[in-house]
Amino acid sequence: MIVAENLTRVYTMGRVEVRALGGVSLEVAKGEFVGIMGASGSGKSTLLHILGLLDRPTSGRVMIDGTDVLALSDHRRTLFRLNRLGYVFQDYALIGELTALENVYLTSLVRGASKAEYLERSAEILRRVGLGDRMDHRQSELSGGEQQRVAIARALVNNPSILLADEPCANLDSQTSRSILDLFARLNEDLDQTIVMVSHEDWHKEYFCRIVTLRDGLIEEMVECRKEPHPHGEA
Amino acid sequence: MPVFAGLRVSAFLAWKSIERGSRGTLALTIMIIALIFVNLVFLPSIISGVVETFNTQSIDFDLGNLVIEPREGSQYLDGVAGLQKKVERIPGVVGTSPRITVGVTYFYRGRNAASTLYGITPEDERSVTRIADYMTAGEFLSSGDTDAIVMGATLAGSEGEEVGGLPSLQGVGVGDSVEVAYPNGATRTYQVKGIFKTQSFGVDTAAFVTSREMSGVLGLDNQASIILVKTAVNGREEEYKTELLSYGIQEEILTFREKSGGFVDQAIQSFNIINAISTLVSLIIAIVVVFIVIFINTVNRRRQIGILKAIGIDQQIIINSYVLQVLFITAVGALVGIGLNAGVTTYLTAYPLVFPGGPVYPDVEASAILRSIASLFAVSVVAGYIPAWQIVREDILSAIRG
Ligand SMILES: Nc1ncnc2c1ncn2[C@@H]1O[C@H](COP(=O)(O)OP(=O)(O)OP(=O)(O)O)[C@@H](O)[C@H]1O
Ligand SMILES: [Mg+2]
Repeated sequence: MIVAENLTRVYTMGRVEVRALGGVSLEVAKGEFVGIMGASGSGKSTLLHILGLLDRPTSGRVMIDGTDVLALSDHRRTLFRLNRLGYVFQDYALIGELTALENVYLTSLVRGASKAEYLERSAEILRRVGLGDRMDHRQSELSGGEQQRVAIARALVNNPSILLADEPCANLDSQTSRSILDLFARLNEDLDQTIVMVSHEDWHKEYFCRIVTLRDGLIEEMVECRKEPHPHGEA
Repeated sequence: MPVFAGLRVSAFLAWKSIERGSRGTLALTIMIIALIFVNLVFLPSIISGVVETFNTQSIDFDLGNLVIEPREGSQYLDGVAGLQKKVERIPGVVGTSPRITVGVTYFYRGRNAASTLYGITPEDERSVTRIADYMTAGEFLSSGDTDAIVMGATLAGSEGEEVGGLPSLQGVGVGDSVEVAYPNGATRTYQVKGIFKTQSFGVDTAAFVTSREMSGVLGLDNQASIILVKTAVNGREEEYKTELLSYGIQEEILTFREKSGGFVDQAIQSFNIINAISTLVSLIIAIVVVFIVIFINTVNRRRQIGILKAIGIDQQIIINSYVLQVLFITAVGALVGIGLNAGVTTYLTAYPLVFPGGPVYPDVEASAILRSIASLFAVSVVAGYIPAWQIVREDILSAIRG
């Protein structure tokens, strides 16, 4: 369960203040699949960064499963990201020196997995995002959409209890997007993963339990979409 | 998170970075470390080579290991034969050679030169110094010789050659007659029996007659200016000196080092200062080079470092990965350095540097190598840690945005 209370984020650039978030409160229940939508510059990434412990709000509070994550030391926050969160960056954020496979298994290595275990798991998740034949490619040898899918695989490989994805399908064709969303839906249902996903696409709405729309750093509307398990989840 | 897993990740990242980073930069950095290593080892090896050469030359040609001198106020040691016997019974003493030392003027074909003349007992001298093995012409003295002299090559000189400042008779050969004027006014004519060349310049400017002959001229009986003592091993002169004292030798006992005076100690001290400065400069260069390399490395990888932190990799693992890279570079650099140094040493052993006192062979001590490796590693780790630590502390999102 994620509880965000009254989050603000103000960027100070010289004398100009940019208010990226103007007081956002949001609760995401365990196992929920929440979509965050809104115009470009409305604060979606900013919100996700804060929920993903990558940034600190100017004010407000974030509790995840009862832990006040803003009160944690940097070291604890790092461990929290490693063990509890999966994050898909809007710009993929792959390590250029590493191959697709290495990018994916790096965090398993940190978690102390055995070689056989992390190789098998990483290869498996790469196959599931359709990159079975691109495992040894480095970032410079992958298309934008392929890089995006490596980023998705990296976020999913440890079965995190919370997945935060910032426009994970921005560079994918609709068929590939659908297969990724189906994968998310399945993890959401089978493993009860909490998913918060930023999206621009209207048709993605059919996957979300709830849609939060941001506008100028504030929640403009919040819509419950469906209660029933999504049919694509069974695929 | 287990420490081992952390190290495994650091090693993984370090290796990928070395494997997939710029080959040229890597090779250049390793080369610089190697050259710094050579610089750290080379100078001390030459200095200890110089000291070694000096020691061997002094012992083998000039003074033996220890010298016994008359005490303050007397010119000669008395009862030399008895003293010699007494000293030779001491364990570890392998030979003694009494010498009468006198400053004389040599005359030859209208030329003259002032230098030292020693009166020696040939067999005794052979048991201490190796001058007799270094005859370039003729032979060394025998015990019965009275009108024979053997002469150092510098003193004998060669035709038409002026050796700047050094005493030289310019072309004395075996069989020539040389006149010697003693300080008491006596003059004698000796036939040159042999010429020796030891490369120890104090010896090569002197000459030897038998002490039987010299005692006759100077009116001495069983007396000597100095007794040279040769011990079984070099380098333990202080111990032997104590030993001799404990056997009740009443005369003054000096090690060859003490006898040759502060000159060498001063020279060694100066060398050591030069060495310390050179070491310091090398290590500072090492610090700067490693610092710059790692700094550029980490600055270029700001984004990557931000990403690593974002996906949950601890700062310490990231810092350690840079430290491991530095360790790798330093280790390879030191290995290459050892190779280069072996090359230089081999060359200089085949074609030694020539110093006054003889050829100097680089004397690479294992301790110097170990010390250099240790200081290189210490310096590199610090110089690698600091920039990595600085960059790693940066805020995640600003790092990722680059
Ligand atoms: N580091 C920053 N410094 C200053 N302003 C920033 C910074 N990051 C974001 N902003 C501003 O904050 C606002 C929200 O940015 P954010 O990235 O959250 O938008 P977004 O909703 O994710 O947009 P998009 O759909 O284009 O990704 C924008 O006006 C942006 O210019
Ligand atoms: Mg965004």
